[in-house]
Amino acid sequence: MSHDSGSSAGAGVESLSLDLLAHALAGVGDPRDRKSCRLASRAFARAEAASRRAARVLRREALPRVLRAFPALSSLDLSACAGLDDASLAAALPVPDPGAGAADPPPGQLLLTVRRVRLARASGVGWRGLEALVAACPRLEAVDLSHCVAAGDREMAALAAAAGLRELVMDKCLGVTDVGLAKVAVGCPGLQRLSVKWCLEISDIGIELLAKKCPQLRSVDISYLKVTNESLRSLSTLEKLEDIAMVSCLFIDDDGLQMLSMCNSLQSIDISRCNHVSSLGLASLIDGQRFLQKINVGHSLHEIETCVLSKLSTIGETLTVLRLDGLEIFASNLQAIGSTCKNLVEIGLSKCNGVTDDGIVSLVAHCCDLRTIDVTCCHLLTNDALSAIAENCRKIECLRLESCPFISEKGLERIATLCSHLKEIDLTDCRINDAALQHLAICSELLILKLGLCSSISDGGLVYISSNCGKLVELDLYRCSAITDDGLAAVASGCKKIRMLNLCYCTQITDAGLKHVSALEELTNLELRCLVRITGIGITSIAIGCTSLIELDLKRCYSVDDAGLWALSRYSQNLRQLTISYCQVTGLGLCHLLGSLRCLQDVKMVHLSWVSIEGFEMALRAACGRLKKLKLLDGLRSVLSTELLQMLQACGCRVRWVDKPLVYKG
Amino acid sequence: MAAAADSSGDGGTSSGEKTIVLVSSDNSARFEVREAAALLSQTVRRMIDEAGADASGDGITLPDVDAKTLAKVLEYCNKHAPASSSSSAAEAAPPAEGEEDLERFDREFVRVDMGTLYSLVTAASYLKIEGLLNLTCQTIADMIKGKTPEQIRKTLGITSEFTPEEEDEVRRENAWAF
Repeated sequence: MSHDSGSSAGAGVESLSLDLLAHALAGVGDPRDRKSCRLASRAFARAEAASRRAARVLRREALPRVLRAFPALSSLDLSACAGLDDASLAAALPVPDPGAGAADPPPGQLLLTVRRVRLARASGVGWRGLEALVAACPRLEAVDLSHCVAAGDREMAALAAAAGLRELVMDKCLGVTDVGLAKVAVGCPGLQRLSVKWCLEISDIGIELLAKKCPQLRSVDISYLKVTNESLRSLSTLEKLEDIAMVSCLFIDDDGLQMLSMCNSLQSIDISRCNHVSSLGLASLIDGQRFLQKINVGHSLHEIETCVLSKLSTIGETLTVLRLDGLEIFASNLQAIGSTCKNLVEIGLSKCNGVTDDGIVSLVAHCCDLRTIDVTCCHLLTNDALSAIAENCRKIECLRLESCPFISEKGLERIATLCSHLKEIDLTDCRINDAALQHLAICSELLILKLGLCSSISDGGLVYISSNCGKLVELDLYRCSAITDDGLAAVASGCKKIRMLNLCYCTQITDAGLKHVSALEELTNLELRCLVRITGIGITSIAIGCTSLIELDLKRCYSVDDAGLWALSRYSQNLRQLTISYCQVTGLGLCHLLGSLRCLQDVKMVHLSWVSIEGFEMALRAACGRLKKLKLLDGLRSVLSTELLQMLQACGCRVRWVDKPLVYKG
Repeated sequence: MAAAADSSGDGGTSSGEKTIVLVSSDNSARFEVREAAALLSQTVRRMIDEAGADASGDGITLPDVDAKTLAKVLEYCNKHAPASSSSSAAEAAPPAEGEEDLERFDREFVRVDMGTLYSLVTAASYLKIEGLLNLTCQTIADMIKGKTPEQIRKTLGITSEFTPEEEDEVRRENAWAF
């Protein structure tokens, strides 16, 4: 496109072709930015649609349009699609026409670009929907079906038709047996990653066939299964195996680990909570490995013995992650680990007895690249340990210091001054005060700050944090009882990116404080347990202001009534999880709430004393097809109609009946 | 940068390297550049291959690129051109400058008004200069980050032709999908 050489205005954005605009927009990754692009102009909306690679559909009505409007779609996330079932999924997908001639256009363009589909917790989708999905997406490579508790062998048979499948996650698909696993193994020989955590029906036989039929497997997760050493024998034949997880496999012992050592290309092993393995087994597994990067033996061994420590030196170059949670650890052990594994990036010592300042000092003296240190419940540690960490590990990003009572602002000052990359710090149940927060405020990269049970924290501390930590995404103030509305004002003005906020039991907070919180537009998770002073006014401002709200906990907010919940019904259309136990809601309010919130799928409503039986009946019927999890008072089980309870069960809703006495707190 | 017209497009510079003459769309400007720099453009490369040695005597005319934009594009090419001038090695050889130096140059290079930036995108696409296309497109993408639709329109100079109903429809979809 040539321009007059005399034109000084230059080209406008209209001069860019759709392709070029799409090329430019491909560089915009953040979903919020992409949404803003769609609203800028028609051309931008078209270009955005042409370049969009990932979509997460929240309502099933939007599904047909999404599948047709985005020709470059590669990743489809349907796990939050409220009410998705086989019928709606099959109806939305294009149908391949078996007999299409060259002249006739096929009834629907197949989704040729879709490679990854996520259906976690999509309990309404069964084999019919999966069959339609596999037929419509011939290039399907990765499927996540985790927590589809009702999924079984028939669903596996449907997936087995996806010959190009490379990744399959079937965690907690309780109905799957060896038969279903065999179907997938035979149908998808190119499988590289498989996770069958919690699929308790799977046995050694299934694993043996899997290993025979899928030689490309690189990553396998058999956690919580009742498999024995024979499974490890089978898996050891996989030449490309890199990553194996067998958390809490209680029938595996040292012999199995010995068999597994035949695989010498392992990069990551997780044998946490396997209480029949010992240091000998671990040592024989490590022996001969040359590429091992991650080891997790948390809560399995009792202590780490010299046979393991000496083997660590052979993988000292490659080891980056070592988790020893729950083990008995001595300072000499940490000294040995530090001197052999100098490239450690993450160390887990959560709940380890015997971890002292000396141990930490000798560890960090060698491991300067550490980015994550977890010393939760290492009660003996003092500020000296923090000083050592601060001086040696300048790259530290994540510090978990929960329940370390001797940590104070002096140690945190060292950390804050020397470690500018700090992103996450957990100080739950530590004895820290506002001075500590004043120091931590220097860390402008801070994303996650957990201060639960720190009763000495007050508004002043929050003012410090909000002055500089503008990137904060998660703030936990559980039981920080000294916090008032002023503290929230500071947080709302300085930390605008907060997504998760926990204010449970900060009982001084009133509606004014919630008005400040309503300014946090990106807030998705809000916990307000036992805030006895807040009323419907506060909830209304939250509902109007926090448009992204997904989870809200109002348990024991005794003064919240129908008015507040009415606002939620009207404005919080993205709400998926709600707890209103002990709130002052009536049957009418409840009915309105459950009827209007199309995405709501998890509701806890124990002790709603103002709701009559008819109220519960109407409300639950209104939301029947959408609800997935319910928590109700046990007494209701006998008075609600059997028809309703059967309907709930048929729609895939699990009900938890609790028997709790009516006690008022706060 | 407009050099005096050379009678032979293959004339050597004082350093003995091959040069190529590129002419802007309105014929108003002729630029003599090192072959290595010119060959960063796949389009130019193809034109030379097709035309053969003799046709390059008069310079290669680029009908879709005006003088101002061509000057800017060649500024980029000269900086990013590999040290070696042989055409076969041009693609594989690394640029003569250091990487940090290039990054700094790139950052300064895209500090232009929107009109120039859009012209650069179109030119880079036409001339098939991958590095320049990626750089300019990423610059536009970076300008969009963190902005509201209104701010995007203002920064990029867009007028929205959405009717209120269309805009509502997009907003609704934004809420229900993604």
